[in-house]
Amino acid sequence: MPEIKTQDFTAASSQAILDPKLRRALDRVAEGFHVARLDRIEEVTQETWDGWKDQAREIKVHTIEHLDYYLDLLDKNVAAAGGQLHFAKDADEANEIVAHIVRTRDIKVATKSKSMVSEELSLNPVLESLGVEVWETDLGEYIIQLAEETPSHLVAPALHKSKEDVAALFTDKLGIPYDEDIYNMAATARTVLRDKFMEADLGISGANFVVAETGTLVIISNEGNGRLCTSAPRVHIGITGMEKIIPSMQDLSTFLRLLPRSATGQRITSYVSMTTGPRRSDDEDGPEEFHLILVDNGRSKMLADPNLREALYCIRCGACLNICPVYSRIGGHAYGWVYPGPIGAVVSPMLVGLAKAKELPQASSLCGACREVCPINIDIPKMLLNLRTKTAESPDSTQRTAPEMERVLARLYAKLMSSPRLLKIAVRFGRFAQKIERITPFFSPLTKDGKWIRKAHLPILSRWTRSRDLPTLPKQTFHEIWQKELSDE
Amino acid sequence: MNNPNMPGTPKSKFLQSVRDALGREDVPPTQPYRRLTETQAELEEQTAQMRKRLEDRLPTLLDKLAQMAALGGWKVHRASGAEDAIDYIQSVARESGTTSIARSTQDVFEQVPVDAALSNLGIKVTTILWDEDMPRETLREEIRQSGIGITGADYALAETGSLVVLPRRGLARLISVVPPVHIALVRAKDLLETLDDLFLLRRLEYHQQGGEMGSYLNLITGPSRTADIEMTIVEGVHGPKEVHMIILG
Repeated sequence: MPEIKTQDFTAASSQAILDPKLRRALDRVAEGFHVARLDRIEEVTQETWDGWKDQAREIKVHTIEHLDYYLDLLDKNVAAAGGQLHFAKDADEANEIVAHIVRTRDIKVATKSKSMVSEELSLNPVLESLGVEVWETDLGEYIIQLAEETPSHLVAPALHKSKEDVAALFTDKLGIPYDEDIYNMAATARTVLRDKFMEADLGISGANFVVAETGTLVIISNEGNGRLCTSAPRVHIGITGMEKIIPSMQDLSTFLRLLPRSATGQRITSYVSMTTGPRRSDDEDGPEEFHLILVDNGRSKMLADPNLREALYCIRCGACLNICPVYSRIGGHAYGWVYPGPIGAVVSPMLVGLAKAKELPQASSLCGACREVCPINIDIPKMLLNLRTKTAESPDSTQRTAPEMERVLARLYAKLMSSPRLLKIAVRFGRFAQKIERITPFFSPLTKDGKWIRKAHLPILSRWTRSRDLPTLPKQTFHEIWQKELSDE
Repeated sequence: MNNPNMPGTPKSKFLQSVRDALGREDVPPTQPYRRLTETQAELEEQTAQMRKRLEDRLPTLLDKLAQMAALGGWKVHRASGAEDAIDYIQSVARESGTTSIARSTQDVFEQVPVDAALSNLGIKVTTILWDEDMPRETLREEIRQSGIGITGADYALAETGSLVVLPRRGLARLISVVPPVHIALVRAKDLLETLDDLFLLRRLEYHQQGGEMGSYLNLITGPSRTADIEMTIVEGVHGPKEVHMIILG
């Protein structure tokens, strides 16, 4: 697995939010993808769109509830088509399978099309350690690979790089003259990678969907690199999460309508490439061998938790990233692991462990925009709340976000609020404390009008008032007003 | 095929862990999935209805195909006949300045014989047809050297403006993705209305062929493109920069 930095979320996001360049890049993506998406929905009508969403959800619910059955069916049909399905319980096992294929098939050069799961596995270093030359071929992924970074968006992995960044990178790594013309840079990538496509012994792809009924792997792309990776080399390995399965070929229609529109606002991508097994004996071209690796790597934990199971319906369109007020200000890297944004804030804690990623579920205003744009109607806010409950109540203290003192205070607060007598005493004490604070400049936590506490100098309270204003205690509480003036009427 | 040295979790163990997570027994779904219980006869029936619908709406659907293909980035030419199609191909070839074209071996080229017309322009035309005496690398090199790839269609989808290509003798996967220009010839009889039509047909064929899906199915809609640098759309990044759909009929 790649280095986990989810525990640094607070520091990383505080830093990212100050980066004006990143902010401009994020605005461009949010604007571009989101507006196009809305146009596409208007075109087909909201009613039709909602109908597609319901269908897609129904298919996903059915498939995930019977995942064992469909995995078995898929396995049989991949084999019937002459391919081989491998099951990997975790990243190491998936990497071992790839390594075994590489060693026994004398693989020297590999081309890769976009695969988030391969990021999850940290596959590239494994291949390199085996002496394999690995080439990411999606333009964004290629840029990221040259820069030795990680993707910052599910669909637009290099969005955080400006054209000047890319031009400088190409000059540095490819030794070509500095040229920030985007067309020329794309042409450079075409030229460099064209040779690699033809040279490669191995093509590695992800999968947007795998069809159980026929053993078919489906890749959606715009650049054509996915087609080249799965057509030119003599071995093709598809790697994906076990949740990507759908029962029937005919289910694809719904997903092909939803995914491109939700992701980039396209009616359909330039290419939808479906491959079933290796090339047949009389095909003109195509790979001699086909392997499909299905990865668990923590997914069965999501499956086992009825509150979080629906995270497995995700088709990785990125619509929730584009709309999210948090993601659109801090970008993907701050989330510290492979999957960013609202869905990442659910998935990452489940895959890397809540103890390391407990800050992520807090990274939401719970505004619900992610749920609204999700093409599968995934209730992300509900899952974030569920994870927050876990981070508050977990018996394992490493999973909890609040210090022990805060928990003690919260319990005291609950006691206080449920006893009128104690509350009365506390209010009196509070008024006294406020008075003292007003006359001692050392504390001075109040604003001039005395209505808000902007900064408390008390150990636990200061954690709250750092980012929130608390109202001061009023001269009369409602309780007191009621007793004095209203109770007679 | 199964190699005992291959790492990984055995299927039975993996499926059991999934079942444990779901709290499920090893049984098929109690409510079987509608589509997986359809018989071949039912699929045939649905396909017959689809054919009828396509026939009734053919002129409208051809217009829709042309419209959606253009929106998807195809340069669409509605040819009045074979001669017109050949003229159009000649003009594309001339404009591209290429000296070498690869075309598939498909029966549409009997209706639209392009070879002589292109040879007259001094262009070398390679017909793709692999046989066992020919190394596959030779074929690939021919395609790679070509400035234009010309193919027919298995289907064309009015809903999305997509070309559909399936594996067949004489049609390499690479011919529609490697050359910088792709020309596709679509006949009225290739036309389908929706994605559902396409997948229904494929499912029927899958059943008819005893569970053989064919090694690939490509939907192609417009040129290769990327927006990975600053959301600026660039066409022709790995696949063709220019794609033409010639609609016959």
